[in-house]
Amino acid sequence: MKGLDHLPWYRRPGVTISLFLAPALFFFALYVLAPIPVSFYYSLFRWDGIGERVFIGFQNWRELTQDPIFWRALKNNVTLVVISILVQLPMGIALALLLTSRFRWRKLLKTIYVLPYLMSAVAIGMLWRYIYEPTFGLLNMFLEAIGRSNWILDWLGDPKVVLYSVINAINWQFIPFYMLLFMAALVGIPDELYEAAKIDGASAWKVFWTITLPLLWPTVTNAAILSLVGSLKYFDLIHVLSGGGPSHASELMATYMYKRSFQHFRMGYGSTVAVALFTIGFVLSMVFLRATRCREYEGGGKR
Amino acid sequence: MLKRATMCLFVISLLLGMSLGVYAQDINLTLWHIHTNVGAAQNTIQDAIRRFETDYPNVKIEEVQIINDEYKTKLMIAMGANDEPDIFMSWGGGPLETYISAGKVWDMTDALVGEGIYDNFLPVALDLGSVGDRVCGVPITNMVAALVFYRTDIFENLNLDIPTTYTELLEVMAVLNDNNITPFALANANKWTGSMYYMYLADRIGGPEAFYKAMMRTDGGSFASEAFIKAGEYLQELVKNNAFPRGFQSMDEDLAQSRNLLYTDRAAMYLMGSWAWGTIKAENESLLEKLDFFVFPGVDGGLGDPSNLVGTPGDNYFSVAQKCEHKEYAIKFLGYLSDENAVEMLIANGHIPPFGEDIGSKIDDPMMKKLYQAVSGSDAVQLWYDQSLPPELAQVHLDTTQALFGLEMTPEEAAQTMEEAARRYHGEN
Repeated sequence: MKGLDHLPWYRRPGVTISLFLAPALFFFALYVLAPIPVSFYYSLFRWDGIGERVFIGFQNWRELTQDPIFWRALKNNVTLVVISILVQLPMGIALALLLTSRFRWRKLLKTIYVLPYLMSAVAIGMLWRYIYEPTFGLLNMFLEAIGRSNWILDWLGDPKVVLYSVINAINWQFIPFYMLLFMAALVGIPDELYEAAKIDGASAWKVFWTITLPLLWPTVTNAAILSLVGSLKYFDLIHVLSGGGPSHASELMATYMYKRSFQHFRMGYGSTVAVALFTIGFVLSMVFLRATRCREYEGGGKR
Repeated sequence: MLKRATMCLFVISLLLGMSLGVYAQDINLTLWHIHTNVGAAQNTIQDAIRRFETDYPNVKIEEVQIINDEYKTKLMIAMGANDEPDIFMSWGGGPLETYISAGKVWDMTDALVGEGIYDNFLPVALDLGSVGDRVCGVPITNMVAALVFYRTDIFENLNLDIPTTYTELLEVMAVLNDNNITPFALANANKWTGSMYYMYLADRIGGPEAFYKAMMRTDGGSFASEAFIKAGEYLQELVKNNAFPRGFQSMDEDLAQSRNLLYTDRAAMYLMGSWAWGTIKAENESLLEKLDFFVFPGVDGGLGDPSNLVGTPGDNYFSVAQKCEHKEYAIKFLGYLSDENAVEMLIANGHIPPFGEDIGSKIDDPMMKKLYQAVSGSDAVQLWYDQSLPPELAQVHLDTTQALFGLEMTPEEAAQTMEEAARRYHGEN
C-alpha cells in the first residue's frame, strides 16, 4: 500500500470502497439488520399495533411454545422444504438437460417453461384458484370429462389435501428458476469431457452420473440452500391461494405471523413468531451450509 | 465537476418547486373503501365524488378501492404506520373503537351539527359509529340484515314450502339434495360468511341475551354456554346433511364463487346480507325475477324469537382521520355522500340507505319494499359478532366457526376455545 501514500486520504482504496458500499450498507442495516432486535423487543409486549404497548416479559414466548398452530405451521414449513428440494431441483435438472440438448423445438419450449417464473405470485395464485375451483375448476371438470369423477377432490378446502395442492403450485412457480440456474451451469461444463466420454464409449446414463452431476454439484448445493431459505420464509402464493386455511391446514410461519400481527391486531405476538421464524431459518441455513461445505471439499479432493 | 453539481442542484430544485406548486393549489383528500365491484355503493360514492368536485374544484378526492378482506389488513397497517387515509370506511363497532381509542379518528359530532347533516342519519344506525354520544363514523351504505335468498322457480318445481323451523329446513335440504341441487350457496374461505349461520343458530337457540351476556361478561354469560355448544351441533348437522357445496371452505365470496352456483341452477338458497339484492342486480339482473327471501328458520324449543335478525343498521361507516388536514372539506364530502341524491342512487341500485327522511315511501319496487319492511320492522337486530367483538376475539370466533364447518373441532372444543380467548382478553384468569 506504500505507493498509495501520496494520495489524499479520501482517494485511498479502502475509503473509496467504503464510500461506495455505504449507501447499500445503510439500507441493509436499516431494513434488514435493525428490525431483528426491534422485533425481539416488541415480542416482549402486548400491543395491538396502534395503541399503547404493555410490557409482559416472556409471556408471548411461553404462549408460542404451547401454540399448536405455530407448531403446525413449522411442520408445514418443513414439509414444504423437503418437497421443494426433492421435486424442484430434480425437475429443474431434467428440464435443463432437455433444453441444452439439441432438438428442434428447444427455443419454443424454453420460452414456455420459463413463463411461470415470469408471472407475479398473485397472478399465479388466481390462476391456480381457478384450476382448483371445486365445481367449475379446470382440474375437476377435466376429471369429470374423462370419467374419473371419483378422483375429484376438494383441492383447497380439504385440510388433508390443501397443503399438497398449494405446494404443487409453488413447485410449478419455481421449477423454471432452477431450470435456468442449471442451464447456466451446464453450459459451463467443457465439451472435451463429453467428447472423451464418447470416445471411451460411455452410455448417456454413465455420462450423467460421472460427468454432469459431479460438475453440477456446487450449483445443486447452492440451489438447495436457496430452496431451503425460500421455503422457510415462504408467504405469497399461500396467502393468495389458501390464506393458510382452512383452519390453518396450510398455514406457514410467515402467514401465521402476518395473521397474528395484522388481522388479529396482536403485533407483540406476531413479532414473537417473526423472531422465531428468523431464528429457525438462520440455524437451519447455518447447519445446512456447514454440511454442504464439507461435501464440497470432499468432492474437490477426489477430483 | 462543479458545473455538473450545480446543474444537478438546479434540476432538483426545479422539480421540487414544480411539485410543490401543484400541491399548493389543490387540496387532496384520500378516500379508502371496499367497493371494487360495480354496484350500488360504488355508483353512489363515485357520483358523490363527481358532484363534490364540481362544486369544489380546488379539492380532489383520490378514491382508492381495496378488496374487502385485504382492506381490513391494509387499513390496520396504515393506522399503525401513521399513514391513514383522510376518509376511510369501517363497519363501526369493535374495530372502529380500537382506532378511536388510539386517537386516530376525528370526533365529528359538532361538525355534523354545524353542517346541518347530523339529522340526516337514523339514530339507531348512528349508534354503531359512536362512542357515547360522540360520533366518529357515519353510516353510509345500507341497512342490512342477513336473509335467506332462494330460487323461487326451484322451490316451485320441487313443491317445496318455505321452511319456518329447523326441522323443516332439514326436510327441504333432503329434497334438494335428492335432486342434485346444493341447498345453500356458501363460500366460506372468508369465514364471516359461515359465521352468519352460527349467529342465527345461537340466536334462535339462546336468544339475543346469550351473546350479549357472553360479550359483556355479565350475568354469568359465557361463550361456552349451552346456546353456543348447541349452535355448533346444529351447524355440524347441516354440514353432515350436505347443506353446502363441494369445496365451500376454500371458496371466496369476494370472487362470487357462491353466487355462481345460484346463477347456474346448482344451488337453491343463499344466506347473505341484504346487500346481496343489489349485488345480484348488478351481476345478473334477470335472476331477480326468480328470487325471493325468507327469514332464517326458528329452532324448536329455542328461546330466540324466529323474527329476530342478524345484521347491521348502517353497514359501512365513514370516518375522518384525526390527522386529516382539511376536515372542513371532508365533512362537506360526507354531506354529499348522505344527501337526497345519494338516497335515490342507493335505492335505485337495490340498497336501503341508513339516512334520509321517510325512506319507506321512496321505495317503489315491491321486492325492495319487502326488504325494507323486513330490515326495519324487526324488534331485535343482532349486530355481526365480528363487528361487536374486539378484533382479537372476532378472529377467534371466525376461526373456530370455520373449524366447526370443517368438522375439525367439536362444538364443545370450539365453544371452550372462544370462552378461553374471551377470559384471556378480559384478564379473568
